[in-house]
Formats: sequence, C-alpha cells, structure tokens
Amino acid sequence: MDFEPNENQTAILDGLEQLISNQQIEPPKDGVVLAFSTKLDTELQASGFLDIAREEEFTLLDAALVVERLARLPVSAEVAFSALVAQLFPADEVTRPFAMASGNPLAPARFLTVARTLLVDQGDELLLIDVDPSRVEPIESLFAYPYGKLASLDGLTVRKMGADLAAAVRRRWRLALAVEGSGLMQSAIDTVIEHVTNRYQFNRPLGSFQAIQHRLAMAAGRQQSARWLALRAAWSDSEADCALAASYVQDAIPTMVYDLHQFCGAMGLTLEFPLHFWTYRLKAMLGELGGASVQARAAALATWQDAA
Amino acid sequence: MTVPMPSDELAGFRAEARSWLEANIPAHSAPLDGPESRLFVLDWQRRMYEGGWAGLTWPSAYGGRSLSVAQQIVWFEEYARSGAPSTHNASFVGVNHAGPTIIACGTEEQKAFHLPKILSGEVIWCQGFSEPGSGSDLASLRTRGRIEGDEIVIEGQKIWSSYADIGDYQELLIRTDPGSVRHKGLTWLICPMDLPGITVRPIKTMAGPSKFCEVFYDQVRVPIGESVVGGIGEGWRTAMATLSFERGTASLALQIGLVEKIEKLAADCTDPFIAPRLADLRADAAALKAMSYAFALSSENGTPGAEGSLIRLYFAELSKRASDLAIDLYGIGAAELAGDHGWAYEYLDAYSETIAGGTAEIQRNIIGERVLGLPRGKA
Repeated sequence: MDFEPNENQTAILDGLEQLISNQQIEPPKDGVVLAFSTKLDTELQASGFLDIAREEEFTLLDAALVVERLARLPVSAEVAFSALVAQLFPADEVTRPFAMASGNPLAPARFLTVARTLLVDQGDELLLIDVDPSRVEPIESLFAYPYGKLASLDGLTVRKMGADLAAAVRRRWRLALAVEGSGLMQSAIDTVIEHVTNRYQFNRPLGSFQAIQHRLAMAAGRQQSARWLALRAAWSDSEADCALAASYVQDAIPTMVYDLHQFCGAMGLTLEFPLHFWTYRLKAMLGELGGASVQARAAALATWQDAA
Repeated sequence: MTVPMPSDELAGFRAEARSWLEANIPAHSAPLDGPESRLFVLDWQRRMYEGGWAGLTWPSAYGGRSLSVAQQIVWFEEYARSGAPSTHNASFVGVNHAGPTIIACGTEEQKAFHLPKILSGEVIWCQGFSEPGSGSDLASLRTRGRIEGDEIVIEGQKIWSSYADIGDYQELLIRTDPGSVRHKGLTWLICPMDLPGITVRPIKTMAGPSKFCEVFYDQVRVPIGESVVGGIGEGWRTAMATLSFERGTASLALQIGLVEKIEKLAADCTDPFIAPRLADLRADAAALKAMSYAFALSSENGTPGAEGSLIRLYFAELSKRASDLAIDLYGIGAAELAGDHGWAYEYLDAYSETIAGGTAEIQRNIIGERVLGLPRGKA
C-alpha cells in the first residue's frame, strides 16, 4: 500500500495549485449565499484538469485528488461530475457542465442553471438531456450551489441509456459525493481550528476546553476516514467502495457540521464568517441520492449480494 | 403537580381555542425579518390579544388571563396543530422572557406600563446580553453604564440582538460598577431603542434572514427609575431570571410545535430506510413532550429551575435531527421545505438552537453542576 502521491499526482496537484494561485479566487461577498464561480469553472474546463480521468497516463484516483483539492476552495465550480462521471461517456457525446438528478427529470438539481447536460438516474435506465439554459428555472436556494429545474422536457433532446450505464453513473455520483465531501470537511475543520485557537472565553482559548477538543478530534477522525474511503473508492471504482464512501460521508455530515458551527457560536451562523463556504455545500449533499441509508443499503447489496 | 388530564373544562377550552384559530390564522406566511416582519408580528399579536389568546398565564391585572399552565399547554397544542405563525418571531423576547422577567423582578410601574403593551402587540423587544468578546462567558461583558444623577449613560456594544433593528425596547445587561468583575456590579435595564446614540447593524444569517443585529451605544442616557429592573448592581440575578425563562418555559410552544411536525413527518414517510430513524425521532418527541409538560406544570407561578436546561438541550438537539431527516425524506427543493414553517429554514436555523440563551456546552455545565450537583470545574 502506498499512501503518498505518486509522481503524476504530485505534478497534477502542483499544477492545480498554480492555477488556483493565478485565479486569485475571492470568496463570495458578505451576504451572498451562492458560491459558484463561473470564472473558475471556465478556467478549469480550459485547463484540462477536469478531463484527467480520460487520459491514458492518469487514473480515476488522480481525478479524485483534483476534486478533493478544489472542494477546499471557498467557491464551487462544476468539478466532481465532470471529473469523475463524464468519463463514462465518449467525450463528443456529452457537454459539460453536468447536473444530476434521481428519478424525476423535473426535480430541482444542483448545477442545473449552469449545466449543458442533465443526467437522470431512473434506476433501470439513464436519461441524457441536452439542457437549453433558457429552459431552466433558477431556484432560490439556501445551499450555495446553483439550483434549477426544468418545467418540462418538451422540445429537449432526451437520450435513453440502459441499466448498466445508469448503475455506473450512480456509482460515480456516489464517488463524487464522497470525494467532494471529504475536501469540504477538511476546509471546514481548518476554519474552526483557527477560530477556537484565537477566540478566548473564560480567559482561555476555546480550543483548550476538553468538550471542544474531544469533538474536534472526532471530527478530524471522521474527515480522515471519509478521505481514505473516498480515495479507496476512486482507486477501486467498485460498487461497494463507492457506496460505502458516500454512505460514510453523508452519515458524518450532520454531526460534523453541527459541531463545527457550535464551536464558532453565533458568529459561525452568519455570512460574515467563512465557515458557511463549506458547510452550506456539505448540507446540500446530505440528502442526495436518497441519503446515507440508501448508500449503506447499496454497499450491503454490493458486498453481500445473497444476504442483502 | 397537576397533570393536564382530559377534562370537560379543558376539552371546552380546547374547542374554543381550535375554533378561534381556524377563523383567525393569517392567510400569508410570516416575513422572516425587516419592517414587514414587525408589522406582521404586531398585527398577529394584537389579533390574539383582542381574541383573548395572549398572555394566558400572565396576571389579569396586566392584560393576561391568569389561566393555568394546563390551559396554556392546550392552547399551544392547538396552535401547533393549526399551523399558526411560528412563535419564534420578533415577539418572542417580549412575550417569553422580557415580560416574564418584569413580572418576576420589575416594579409595579414597570409592570403596568410594559406588560399590556407587550401582550397587545404594541411593541417589539430585543435582547442585549452578548457582546463580541462575551458569548458563553456572559459575565465578562464590558458595556458600561455611568451613573450621573438619576440617569445611566451607556457606552459599548452588544451583538446577536435578534430583531434589534425593528425593536422598541431592549432588555440590556451592562456593567454599572466600574471596579467590578464578573457577575458583580451588573445592572439589567429596559432600554428604549429610539434613544439618541443607539446604532443598529443587522447581520445576515446562514438561514437567510437578517434578524441578528449588532447594537452600538454612544453616550445613551436612560432614566434609572423607569429603566432598572431588579436593582442597580443586581443585574446578574435579574439576568438569571431572564435566562431561566429563556431556557425553561419560553420554548414550550416551539417544543410542542416540533412534536407536531415530527408527527407530520411520520404521516408522510413511506421510505423503509428512513422509517427506523423516524421511529427513534417519535420516541424522542414523546419524551420531550412528557418532560416539557412536567417541567412547565412544576414551574407554575414561579421562576423555572435549572432543570429547564435538560429540556432546552434535548429540544435543541432533537430539532436538528428532525430537520436532517426531513431533508432526507422530502429532498432539496420540495414544497415541504419552503416558507416560515418549511424544513429548509428549520434545517439551517436549527443551528442557533444550541447557541442562543446559552450554548449546549453551557447547558451541559448547568445540568452537571446545578441539577446533578457535580463539583464545579475551573472556568
């Protein structure tokens, strides 16, 4: 087992740091919930970082490292679906950015206001819908990502794919949730550590109270677990690993997010404090694909086919 | 302790409450902040007052009805069942802890002047306890009041003062003895919010509204006789009464509302994966209801005890679990998430439940030290 980035991965991450540095990314202004950066999204598309999984010399794991790193930024771009799901389709058959939906193609979907393709997992088949942006109704959301929905499919090109492809897309969607989630958790924890180190109450740094230390330690343990489960899933690309990683991340989100906000007090509940850059997005992921219990069931099915 | 067993009297009261609510619930949902919120809340409070449904347990001499806690519980049950506007609105501070504090610690003049105004929907109250450097450590507060003749001159800053931007009065805790430290030398004041020298800055929260505010005081003058509640230098004792109400019975309506909402989740749940979690939630809700009722009944005619922290904490953490489950059940963007009763707002606002009125950590300290009698730790 090798837990260190290999030469390719180091080169990718170094290049990505350069791109991030050049972008001079500004977090959203005070009071703005939506944290999508069109500039970053455009730059990432042009740079090729989102196509790594398609390249012969790179792997899905390399792409996952890109997703994880970008999740740690205070703004989002449509990264995870492009980097981890799109590889399942020939490059000339689908156009990014992507949005994903379960079941109902008219349901609200993350990134749909900026998407060119909507993938709809309907269990036994997959719908590929070419999105006309003028047909998307934006949804005012409290969850930082751009959300939208289609009023109807009339006049839109809808391609139907089989159950195998639907299952593969579902698997990679789970992977995307897990990888992005672990990156978001890391930045959220970093923000809180800085706060409880510098904020004094009762003449002590908040971080010196055991009640806080213990729960932050547990949060750090969960984040590390989430990270390794997500990276293992990217390495194996197996049904069981992807479902398990997504289940773990979704299961960890409520406790972790509440604890992290708790440690920042009322300040942490405002848009003037940076924690929401990551926790809004984590909370948005909580219910996707039916939530943690559905992923856990899928992991059990994939692992113990007969018993499940 | 009396138990609110069904009786003819309570059944009749319940029918009366239900009938009034059905005829009077506002057609539109409540704005969450700003001047529209003020108008909405005052109008709704006034309507309840005129209908005889405000201040049920408050003394009738001050505009209340001097009814029993059991009747109050029945009213809250019917209130929650009817889908009436959330009580967690701009009238919350006045009705649930400023008013009860004045009843417990105020002068006759203060009671006669302020209590009817609160109940009849004439005024909004806000709280001025926390400061930028004094959150959980409330006793470290630094906002000062200099006594000059029969006035106190206030200088300093408060934060997390919900609805201060639309408030008429503030329950304000300041340090009036310049040589004092910690809990000593504090004074609890009624501060009119339109006085010269007060500046209010709303802060936008994650849940959407800008209901939290910073308040700055620059040489603000208040008259001692009208303003001081509980005596100069006795502010900590008065503030503890306020917090006892805030941590004790203030959230009773919200607790009953949560139980009602969890039952609605149960009715809507067809997902076999979510059902076991919902079963746990229903058990928690039943426990919360029992604890809340027992505590409220035992607090009748008095200031709630430290046991209120057990319920406050239980309720706050249950709110979070319930809103998480609702998101799983309905999914982002569902109709059930919209509006002031919607789960999306609850989902994000539930964070504040374990912070306001003393964080969950402070509540746990209170439970450990004052309920269980454990040794005090070093602060």
